[in-house]
Amino acid sequence: MPQNEHIELFQKRYGFRMDYQERQRKKKAREHKLQSKMAQKLIGIKGKIFAKKRYSEKVQLKRTIKAHEEKKTRKKEDGKVPEGAMPAYLLDRENTSQAKLLSSMVKQKRKEKAGKWDVPLPKVRAQSEAEVFRVLKTGKSRRKGWKRLVTKVCFVGEGFTRKPPKYERFVRPMALRFKKAHVTHPELKATFCLPIVGVKKNPSSPMYTSLGVITKGTIIEVNVSELGLVTQGGKVVWGKYAQVTNNPENDGCINAILLV
Amino acid sequence: MTSQYNFKKIVIVPTAKDFIDIVLSKTQRKTPTVVHKQYKISRIRQFYMRKVKFSQQTFHDKLSTILTDFPKLDDIHPFYADLMNVLYDKDHYKLALGQINIALHLIDNVSKDYVRLLKYGDSLYRCKQLKKAALGRMATIMKRQAQSLQYLEQVRQHLSRLPSIDPNTRTLLICGFPNVGKSSFINKITRADVEVQPYAFTTKSLFVGHTDHRYLRWQVVDTPGILDHPLEDRNTIEMQAIAALAHLRAAILYVMDISEQCGHTIEQQVALFESIKPLFANKPLLVVLNKTDVIRLEELNPEQKALIQGFINDDIPVMEMSTFSEEGVMNVKTEACERLLSHRIEVKIKSKKVEGILNRLHVALPKPRDGCTRPAFVPEKVIEKRLEKGPKIKKKTERDLEVELEDDYSLDLKKNYDLPADFKYDVIPEFWEGKNIADYIDPDIMAKLEELEREEELRVESGVYEKEEEEMDDEEKEIHRLAGKIREKKAIIAIEGRIGRSGGAPVMPRAGRKRERSVSRLRSEFEELGVDMSNKSGAHFSRTKSRSASRPPIKKARADSAGRVSSSSRVTPRDQSGIRNVELKAKAKKMGHKAQGKMNQFGKAGEADRHIAVKMPRHLYSGKRGIGKTDRR
Repeated sequence: MPQNEHIELFQKRYGFRMDYQERQRKKKAREHKLQSKMAQKLIGIKGKIFAKKRYSEKVQLKRTIKAHEEKKTRKKEDGKVPEGAMPAYLLDRENTSQAKLLSSMVKQKRKEKAGKWDVPLPKVRAQSEAEVFRVLKTGKSRRKGWKRLVTKVCFVGEGFTRKPPKYERFVRPMALRFKKAHVTHPELKATFCLPIVGVKKNPSSPMYTSLGVITKGTIIEVNVSELGLVTQGGKVVWGKYAQVTNNPENDGCINAILLV
Repeated sequence: MTSQYNFKKIVIVPTAKDFIDIVLSKTQRKTPTVVHKQYKISRIRQFYMRKVKFSQQTFHDKLSTILTDFPKLDDIHPFYADLMNVLYDKDHYKLALGQINIALHLIDNVSKDYVRLLKYGDSLYRCKQLKKAALGRMATIMKRQAQSLQYLEQVRQHLSRLPSIDPNTRTLLICGFPNVGKSSFINKITRADVEVQPYAFTTKSLFVGHTDHRYLRWQVVDTPGILDHPLEDRNTIEMQAIAALAHLRAAILYVMDISEQCGHTIEQQVALFESIKPLFANKPLLVVLNKTDVIRLEELNPEQKALIQGFINDDIPVMEMSTFSEEGVMNVKTEACERLLSHRIEVKIKSKKVEGILNRLHVALPKPRDGCTRPAFVPEKVIEKRLEKGPKIKKKTERDLEVELEDDYSLDLKKNYDLPADFKYDVIPEFWEGKNIADYIDPDIMAKLEELEREEELRVESGVYEKEEEEMDDEEKEIHRLAGKIREKKAIIAIEGRIGRSGGAPVMPRAGRKRERSVSRLRSEFEELGVDMSNKSGAHFSRTKSRSASRPPIKKARADSAGRVSSSSRVTPRDQSGIRNVELKAKAKKMGHKAQGKMNQFGKAGEADRHIAVKMPRHLYSGKRGIGKTDRR
């Protein structure tokens, strides 16, 4: 029975067909024809997938060709340093001095008081009530329409219990309650899955803030103890603000950028 | 637990990219593809939920087949578990499968979450985005498994090419230094085609071959060579041999090269033997000295002989063989097989299963009822006759001749021909002077032919071949005659019918034809046929009624003697011809009308019109049945 490397053994003992090499060569030479035929014949979703794959292959091809061409041409290296300037390799990275730190701290405190923040998404589309709430008809004959169902993603705290159903006006379904957000650190370019502490401000309406509705542009507070950040004074930072950058109800997850 | 360990049935593990492509294209093909935003929201939600669920199910199915197909190292025979550990690293293997399992659960969770979210999607756009996010999440999970999938595919390919060694059957295991002649030995006794080369470690893995002894199938396992260093320093190739030695209950053949052509002295080989001796516990052992065509055991110097003697002193049988000149190879095989067989029987006897087998092995002999013997009975006459015949002359058979002559014997069928000696061995032609020789094989053939002809003449004369004529009486004769006449007439009519009315000649209209059906014609035809027509005065065909009074007398009709009216331009109209009286005529008319009515009602062109306009009229084949009669279905 054929065991272990029987194929290689056979090839070693008996070699290949007389025309094996030629056939391989010819098959390879014909490949471009097959590709072009497929590119012409495939339609529908298969055609789109093929076209995308082909495009990326072509891009790679072009890049390698360009790289090869670059090798051939020789460019003169321009490494001149202007007179009197410090060379690049001697420059320090962080050049903040003590004074700068203090003044920035003071400025931050002032901003907090004023409520003005420098956020990544300054302007967000306002969400109307019709978008965020949906009327829930209740009553024996389904005539009463004072209840509202929240259609956007929301955050409720840990010790949250619903009001008695007879009296609750805003229904926040369990499926739309999220506890974690994917927060990106803008400088490190790394994303972490951090638990949400609370909703700080929803730009559309203060009512949404109190309900905990999270839409695009909402400022949320996240628990960053996982990152291990430490203040200048030596205290551990455990909460930071982040701004939501996507539409969570469409994507099923909350993506946010950390506000540093 | 199959007795034939065969790992060829494992499903192919695709790469991560292919996996995703397969599942996504399957989702696209097998679920409905069209949805519009004006559909009811529940329908839209259902559409997208179905896609998410379908993808999850497909991923789940494919991943779980992978998980079940790959063998669990705890469930298979320890030999295979050890071998797989040596080849693929148990930890890596388990980790890879564990990662696949985790991916499976993650995909299930993703699907659950997104299906829950989809329930609250209130527009097509939102549902579509959620479905896209769900499928994308699942695809990302699979992309992360690319490494594990690649590793598992390589494992699968290698596993499928492992030799299928049955760990429980009779096995001979060959071990020793590299290049001592293990693979040559297995090539000699089995049909396994293991590569034999002068460099060390030609055999890099286990090979299996099968041989027969005493009508039983024996497995022979060839191992890669083992070098003499401690277990920790052994590489993968040697470890396979160690795994085989450790787990297979087989007869061990320790092969030694006494000519030292393998590059190791006899002392080193004996040292290796001592170091792997613990692995030989409870197994029948045989030390085989190979390459005796170069140097024999007697030609060795005394120290080496002493080492070999050490084996014999330890009750380990030592045998010589040479795979090059093939002397002693079969003896070694037979000896090893016998030892293993007796060992296995011993073990079986000691185990509990032996009682069942012993019962079957018992040969029962009947106890004699009384003391008298009962020999075979041969009548005396027969014995006398036999003696009369004399001793049987034993004819010399061809077989005896063959045994006698051995190589010089050739089968000569022509030597017993009944011909003179010079004609016996001639070649017989097929034709001679235009005649087949086969027809004249018999020398008396002409005489025989003449005799036959004479006999035949005699027979013809004596009337053997004449048929007996039956005697017919008058009636039968008459019937025969009439039958002949009828046949003749029929033939004439048929021929006339085929010919037709002298093709194309104009036909006289019915009114202009001569009177066909007359009494005189009737009389004449019947008389021809032999019927007596003389006294048929009261018959129907004769004119019973005279001319009616209402009718004016016509001119005296010139009738000839036969009663045939010569000029009669007035032929009876069709509705009156053949009808006796008026009542009958009315009846005939009525019958004719009635028959036509049904045809007319259904719009038929005639009697033979069977066309149906509507095969399945809707009012008959549709609708529910109310409370009505249902005796027709």
